[in-house]
Amino acid sequence: MSTKEFKLPDVGEGVAEGELVSWLVEPGDAVSEDQPVAEVETDKALVEVPSPYNGTVKQLYVEEGEMVPVGDVIISFELDDGDDDDGDETVEAAVEPDDTEMEAAEPETEPEPAAEPEPAGVESTDGETADVETPEGRVFAPPSARRIARELGVDIAAVSGSGPGGRITETDVREHAEATASVEPEPTPTTEVETRDAETRDAETRDAATGEARTAEAATPTGVEPAGRDNTLAVPATRRIAREEGVDIDDVPTDLTRDGEPFVTEQQVREYARALEAAVEAEAAAEPTAGTDTADAGVETATPTPGEPGTAQRPEETVPYRGVRRTIGEQMEESKYTAPHVTHHDTVEVSALADARERLKPRAEEQGVSLTYLPFVMKAVVKGLKEYPILNSQLREEDEEIALKKYYNVGIAVATDAGLMVPVVENVDEKGLFELSREVHDLASRARERKLDLEEMRGGTFTITNFGAIGGEYATPIINYPETAILGLGAIEKRPVVEDDEVVARPTLPLSLTIDHRVIDGAEAAAFTNTVMSSLNEPLLLLE
Amino acid sequence: MVVGDISTGTDVLVIGAGPGGYVAAIRAAQHGLDTTLVERDAYGGVCLNYGCIPSKALITGAGLAHEAGNAEHMGIHADPAVDMEGLGGWKDDVVDQLTGGVEKLCKANGVNLVEGEASFADENTVRVAHGGDGQGSESIEFEHAIVATGSQPIELPGFDFTDEEVWTSRDALAADTIPDRLVVVGAGYIGMELATVFAKLGTDVTVVEMLDDALPMYESDVARVVRKRAKDLGIEFQFGEGASEWQESPDGGIQVVTETEDGVESTYAADKVLVAVGRRPVTEGVGLEAAGIETDDNGFIEVDDRMRTNRDHVFAIGDVAGEPMLAHVASHEGIVASEVIAGEPAAMDAQAVPAAVFTDPEVATVGMTEAEAEEEGFEPVVGEMPFRASGRALTADHTDGFVRIVADEETGLVLGGQIVGPEASELIAEVSLAVEMGATLEDVGSTIHTHPTLAEAVMEAAENAQGQAIHTLNR
Repeated sequence: MSTKEFKLPDVGEGVAEGELVSWLVEPGDAVSEDQPVAEVETDKALVEVPSPYNGTVKQLYVEEGEMVPVGDVIISFELDDGDDDDGDETVEAAVEPDDTEMEAAEPETEPEPAAEPEPAGVESTDGETADVETPEGRVFAPPSARRIARELGVDIAAVSGSGPGGRITETDVREHAEATASVEPEPTPTTEVETRDAETRDAETRDAATGEARTAEAATPTGVEPAGRDNTLAVPATRRIAREEGVDIDDVPTDLTRDGEPFVTEQQVREYARALEAAVEAEAAAEPTAGTDTADAGVETATPTPGEPGTAQRPEETVPYRGVRRTIGEQMEESKYTAPHVTHHDTVEVSALADARERLKPRAEEQGVSLTYLPFVMKAVVKGLKEYPILNSQLREEDEEIALKKYYNVGIAVATDAGLMVPVVENVDEKGLFELSREVHDLASRARERKLDLEEMRGGTFTITNFGAIGGEYATPIINYPETAILGLGAIEKRPVVEDDEVVARPTLPLSLTIDHRVIDGAEAAAFTNTVMSSLNEPLLLLE
Repeated sequence: MVVGDISTGTDVLVIGAGPGGYVAAIRAAQHGLDTTLVERDAYGGVCLNYGCIPSKALITGAGLAHEAGNAEHMGIHADPAVDMEGLGGWKDDVVDQLTGGVEKLCKANGVNLVEGEASFADENTVRVAHGGDGQGSESIEFEHAIVATGSQPIELPGFDFTDEEVWTSRDALAADTIPDRLVVVGAGYIGMELATVFAKLGTDVTVVEMLDDALPMYESDVARVVRKRAKDLGIEFQFGEGASEWQESPDGGIQVVTETEDGVESTYAADKVLVAVGRRPVTEGVGLEAAGIETDDNGFIEVDDRMRTNRDHVFAIGDVAGEPMLAHVASHEGIVASEVIAGEPAAMDAQAVPAAVFTDPEVATVGMTEAEAEEEGFEPVVGEMPFRASGRALTADHTDGFVRIVADEETGLVLGGQIVGPEASELIAEVSLAVEMGATLEDVGSTIHTHPTLAEAVMEAAENAQGQAIHTLNR
């Protein structure tokens, strides 16, 4: 009988963390090897984590909805077989070091998890400072780092260290805290002294405001809901203030905790006392909105600190910036701040294209394909890429070279409920219109169902984003880094077109091509766009 | 109602002004909390008055006398005579200076000092009984309490501490004459320290120990160095024997009767018998039950890593809160408790808790032994440096012992150290820092150490563990 701990494995894409969406087992459940025990959402995919053992689930270390850094223990198993080693141990799924350093060094298809910016050497893959397996119960961290962990509510044992031998630094703790920030960010329990300083500042700010302003601020109904707890932690000075103010400390709202118990500061007691007074006054006042005139003054002069408990806030809803959303954000940020973006706009008249599609549609339907404009655009793009290979490229700065890709994998941006997904259609140049249509439809629908493999979102060389499907003419698409160009499609609609000096209504397709100006010049962008436009204006040219 | 009963209130009430309690009180006061410290006997507790400090003073005096009289090989000829009253007087001065300092520090930090015996009346009140007739008592209401009542010697059946011939460590430290013959029951750190002191002062010392070695809590090769040196000092060991009683001897002294497990009896003649078989928490008379505070099977108050008892507002620190019963742990726990009360994110999560024994030579350890590291699942690597290879140890004429450092082979992270030898109690600080900081063998070995010093032995041991030692043969 031995206990085995199991760490969240690197699901093979260099993912740094994942959200544990759901547990498929409970403590006490018997599990067999390879039986899925949890669902983890990493960036783009919902991955099932299989059990490495036959045995019984002993303990779950992570709550559903929690972000878990790869390498953190998530579950332990009781093994019933007579294992060789009788000691407890932690197992970590083997991490395969990338053998092609180039691949390892580059982020792949958007939103490939570019991982958290980690201090060099955290990743177990780089072999330099491997993720060290320390036996249970001993964590290598100096007192200063431990203190910060307590301050931030971080379990020091869950932090992976970047120091020599896996020693945990203060930075490691802070990064772990950020990475595991909960859905509703709890205000960090600061030290008493810090709190006091903040409170003093706050109080000063408020004192600068008028008395009415305070009232207006405090009259927020949420501020006077008595919390009605059974037990509250507070320092003696705070309890004394509560007694002086005639406030029951268990009623003072707080989202601070100490050792898992609700914790109340002096400031919160005073706030609550004021809120009670204000509520009484507000009820007495005939106007339901007490002191509207002065409220403005209060809003201007008193600066509520978001997250500061007890401070009246404007109503807001918080949405977690995590998982897919954050990955997209990080990708966008990296792209935008790495590649100088230039967007070239043009519009192509597509009457012939519309006719061609109409003619082909019935034939496509016979084959069970719903033919859209997208395959035509993809073919036109590939034709342009072959003529201007610089747009089908990747800049490898460290190697001081630009790679011109001789294959044509076109990413198609798909809006899903979970955010933007970019599945890749490979070798577009070798596929026919119907095949492309079928493939795009399949990828897009699976993207919306979150059933894409990460591999299917990798290896693109150029991306098309069809925002016109929703509406609009022009945009400034952000390059799907490390590609160097992206083509945005507006909505095909009848628009005024000048023909023979006459304004006529014709279906047109607005194009927005963004390029990485480090690699591609405006002239090349315009020339490429012209090529794409001529193919779309005269689809027969695609047969060239 | 007792005559003169008065009632006051305080934010933090600390019971016991030992190295845990007074530190806790000062830190609480530093956080702006109204703090009251109650002490029934002497500021500084057992440590300053009857333990660490006076014993170290006597160890110094006895050591000096012994060395001065045993330095012919250096060409120094002397026959020192120890005047026990003079030595005791100097020791008392040291103690007074320190305890006076504690009192001054408490007052300077605004701690309210109350002399008397505190016991809980209910969960928010203690009653303090003042000594003497008609002194009355007072009730103190508190928001938070810190119990720091310490420990006391464990009594051995057959040895009544009130008998003049039976010594506790406290009696031994207060001795005004040097006994001719002394039987020490218990070869733990207290027994061994005092056995060494009296052996050096000229007493014939016999140590009786149930287990089969001196300092049984340490590794055998560590204990061996101390045992060997003790024998050289003339200390006789009787292992595997438990003391059962003492009797008056016809010749005027006493006889200490011992028994083996098989029931074989022996008797050892002595003038005094020192019982040093361990310490137990002081909880009687504290009124823990009135406050609803729970203790474990051994009588220690149960606490969590914030030093909280089962009652949220009551904390316990030091010896009364369990092993390891060490003054420096008590002080650290006192700081933790006060900071938690003040709302700081403190906790007792020290990885390195050093311990020292002031025998000859000294023993000091921190962290894991090689065996413990293996148990924990590490693959330990060990480096050693014997003091006979240390220039400073040779010039200090103290070459017994060694420094051993234990680390994780894979990462080089230092897991612990064991030092037996001159100034081990000082040298361990470096290893403690290494363990607490998560330093590696390379960190320790590549730090320049002053030459010639004993501390170089720590560096050398770290290099030895890496197979890179210069002054010792690498394994």
